[in-house]
Amino acid sequence: MSNPLCTPQDHLVSRRRFLGLGAGAMAAGAFGGLLSAKAGEELKKKEKQVLFVWLDGGMSQLESWDPKPNTKFGGPFRTIPTNVTGVHLSELMPRLAKQMDKLCVVRSVSTQDNAHSSGIERIQRGDPKTRGVPYPYFGSAVAKLLGPCESKLPPYVWIKPGSGGFRPEDGGFLGPKYGSLAFGDGLPPDDLLRNPALTEEEDAERNELRAKLNERFVARRPTNYTEANSHVFDTARELMKRADIFDQSKVSAKDQERYGKHDLGKHMLCARRMLESGVRFVKVTSYGWDTHGDNFNAHASLMPKFDQSFSSILEDLSATGQLDHTLVIAMSEFGRTPQVNGHAGRDHWPEAWSIAMAGCGIQKGAVVGATNETGTYVKDAGYDIGALFHTWFSALGIDSIKTEYDNKGQPLPIAHEDMKAIKEALA
Amino acid sequence: MFSKASSLLLGALALVGFAQAEEPLHVRVDQLIEKQAAGQPLAPVAGDAEFLRRVYLDFAGDLPTAAEARAFLDDKAADKREQLLTKLQTAPRFAERLADALNVMLMERRGEDPAWKKYLQDSCKAGKPWDVMAKEMIAPDYANPDLKGAGYFTVRRLEKVGQQTTDYPGLTRDAGRMFLGVDLQCCQCHNHLTVKSYKQVDFNGLFVAFQNIKLEGGEGKAAKVREMPLTAKYDFVSVLTKVAGQTGPRVPFSEEVAIPDPNSDDFWEVKPDPKKREIGVAKFSPLKEIAQRIATKENPWFVKNAANRMWWLLMGRGILEPLDQHNNPANPPSHPELLDLLAQEMAAHDLSLQWLLKELSLTKTYQRTSVLPEGEAPPEKLFVVAKERPLSSEQLVRAFLRATGEYDAAAAADAPKGHGLADFDKAFRTAFANAPKEPELTVNPTLKSALFLRNSDIVLSTVKPQHANLVERLVAITDPKALAEELYLSILTRLPNAEETAEVGAWLEKHASDRPRAVGHYAWALLSSEEFFSNH
Repeated sequence: MSNPLCTPQDHLVSRRRFLGLGAGAMAAGAFGGLLSAKAGEELKKKEKQVLFVWLDGGMSQLESWDPKPNTKFGGPFRTIPTNVTGVHLSELMPRLAKQMDKLCVVRSVSTQDNAHSSGIERIQRGDPKTRGVPYPYFGSAVAKLLGPCESKLPPYVWIKPGSGGFRPEDGGFLGPKYGSLAFGDGLPPDDLLRNPALTEEEDAERNELRAKLNERFVARRPTNYTEANSHVFDTARELMKRADIFDQSKVSAKDQERYGKHDLGKHMLCARRMLESGVRFVKVTSYGWDTHGDNFNAHASLMPKFDQSFSSILEDLSATGQLDHTLVIAMSEFGRTPQVNGHAGRDHWPEAWSIAMAGCGIQKGAVVGATNETGTYVKDAGYDIGALFHTWFSALGIDSIKTEYDNKGQPLPIAHEDMKAIKEALA
Repeated sequence: MFSKASSLLLGALALVGFAQAEEPLHVRVDQLIEKQAAGQPLAPVAGDAEFLRRVYLDFAGDLPTAAEARAFLDDKAADKREQLLTKLQTAPRFAERLADALNVMLMERRGEDPAWKKYLQDSCKAGKPWDVMAKEMIAPDYANPDLKGAGYFTVRRLEKVGQQTTDYPGLTRDAGRMFLGVDLQCCQCHNHLTVKSYKQVDFNGLFVAFQNIKLEGGEGKAAKVREMPLTAKYDFVSVLTKVAGQTGPRVPFSEEVAIPDPNSDDFWEVKPDPKKREIGVAKFSPLKEIAQRIATKENPWFVKNAANRMWWLLMGRGILEPLDQHNNPANPPSHPELLDLLAQEMAAHDLSLQWLLKELSLTKTYQRTSVLPEGEAPPEKLFVVAKERPLSSEQLVRAFLRATGEYDAAAAADAPKGHGLADFDKAFRTAFANAPKEPELTVNPTLKSALFLRNSDIVLSTVKPQHANLVERLVAITDPKALAEELYLSILTRLPNAEETAEVGAWLEKHASDRPRAVGHYAWALLSSEEFFSNH
């Protein structure tokens, strides 16, 4: 290699456009700070990705996807029509009402657990039959089944308020390497940024030297160790290159305004930038949805933030065509009781609640299933989380029946074997 | 006729046994490995430099200094390897290194505890037999200040961490894994589906004893466990077949221990007192009963597990894999005769871990090079090439500080804030140790470790020229060849070849404007290379 600073990656023009120069292209693009049209064209061909919005504590289906105005438990809010004829949403989601044609809402979700501590795990692990081993979270499952994107960025990233770090436990029996990389408050992990004592050139040069020393050493060694090690160094390099994802100053004022300057808005915008950069699975968590007291005022305050940020990211993903290969999910660990308690609150209700989806493989402008008149129970059978896992895997092009995990020789189904995908929800 | 033949056979076996007994264990180990290699070429014994680095990492958990390395390489004595092994294996560091390895193996990164660490170190220094240690861990004596640290094995596993409840099944499982080399997890609820010899009663016999203890301790921090009186057998039902079973305390694959009659006067040490709400203390201790039956030479799985784990420690792969699947006829050891031999010899030597490790270090099998032969790589399970092994964070931090010449400064009482030995230990453990409860058996590099190496202040500080550390020493060497030698010896425990020497020279020339930085960068590249990061 004539120039020690010139890595093979630099010759991949398309990747360079996304990684090395992405930030500039984004700022100057004609799509409101999105990728340029040409880059957007390339994105269309790109691999499947997931945006998983987690509303921790339990969003009320009655104040969102499944309103029941003027009924016994309906609460004070009205409904508004959407851009899909006949479908109404709560008046707390005016912007999402205009995006309904992209969405699929399952109104007959019926799950098993009404406690947060076990419920969150159960739901995010897909509540399979007990096998004596912890199942991976959905993000870890996707990281395992689809791997990192071509960008080599970490496959499973979690943007959340509070602390960040590496969360190996999400990986369950798949092992810690499939855990999540959590960005607390959208901030980068420790040591992500190049140490200020080093110039960019120095840093690159000493890494080239390291790579060269390795090449010689590993020529006559088994490859397992080497491959694992160079993989993490490569990932570190790609992530360092994209440190701008975390730089709020790189975000246009217009976008900040559109998404909202609250946590959820900032984190959703960060999620968009991560998806654009080629992170396979991005989870965004919003806390504070456990409205046992004062449910209606709480939702009047929470819903607009969700409405604003979630509708903005749908708009943007749709405008670039990225939505075609990105599965979008918004959900909680359960819904809330129709019955209003003595503190004007709603309690935990796994019996009948809603999940919204969009994008890759998902039916557009659809409502699947229904609850009864008062919203207390689902009509017909209802769908447990296992059915949704099947649906999501199918939407991502993974055969959820035939594909199995190999847990040290023990074949394990990737989703509950007694359930299957919700056909009406799939495109 | 039959009896005559069998006595002849016995005679022949005795003769063979006698002839073999003439040879030390390490010779017999090599014979068995060679026998099974079946024509596969055996890798040659490693050169002096590869040997030197390996034995320092294994027996001191450290690297030699450049001066020590040079002295060994220049030594012309025919028995210099044996001499070095003796030196390392009689030094106090050997016990500390073994204690570190046992801590990682037994606790699987659940946390660090000073009393536990001291217990392990003291036990290793005293050369305590493995059965004695195991008994002290399974049924700890909290009244004895020297032994109560051993209780961490149990106490830590029963502590509530976050929302996780007290994990009796986990403790039961780990007792089986660590001391008998059997993972009985599946047998909590049913007979094992794939390992036919693991029955539900095998798990529950241990579980009876462990579920019968309670954590006690003030200030919210559990300090010890108390054993409750056990008056009845434990009932269980298979979730698959619905067949019910019942067992008292029982060590897997052996006889159940009878529970004495709770109505007899002899049952109680301290009788229960309903008025004072005292549940009483029974004389019968299920925990002690199972501890005695697990940790004994008479229990073949206890001995084989220990031998296999010590073999794994030096060879990077067990004779039986996975390490916790003994007694599975469908998954025999790669070298059954060898595992039996190691177990038998270990039993004959007081179940001494150190004795076995010393013998294994004398084998050619241990001393082979890790460079693969030309052509297709031979199967690992033949042990015809040494296997590269990952370094624990404990080995790594020592090696790193030794190589960079920073060890003394970090260990000094007046170490700069944030740069003391404890700070390095913690930083390296955070970056390189596995997640809690993950067996640290294979290589598991993480993004965190890569970012730590590249960008952390603590790593960069070690390659800045200061207080006569490696980089400062190197900067003072004007001859590039001499500099390259000192650099390679310090970090990789070997001399550079001509090409490598030339590369160092070219690098220094190119970056002549800032020599200290150039040297620091070179040192960093070597320190973060695969060669440094494995025991090869």
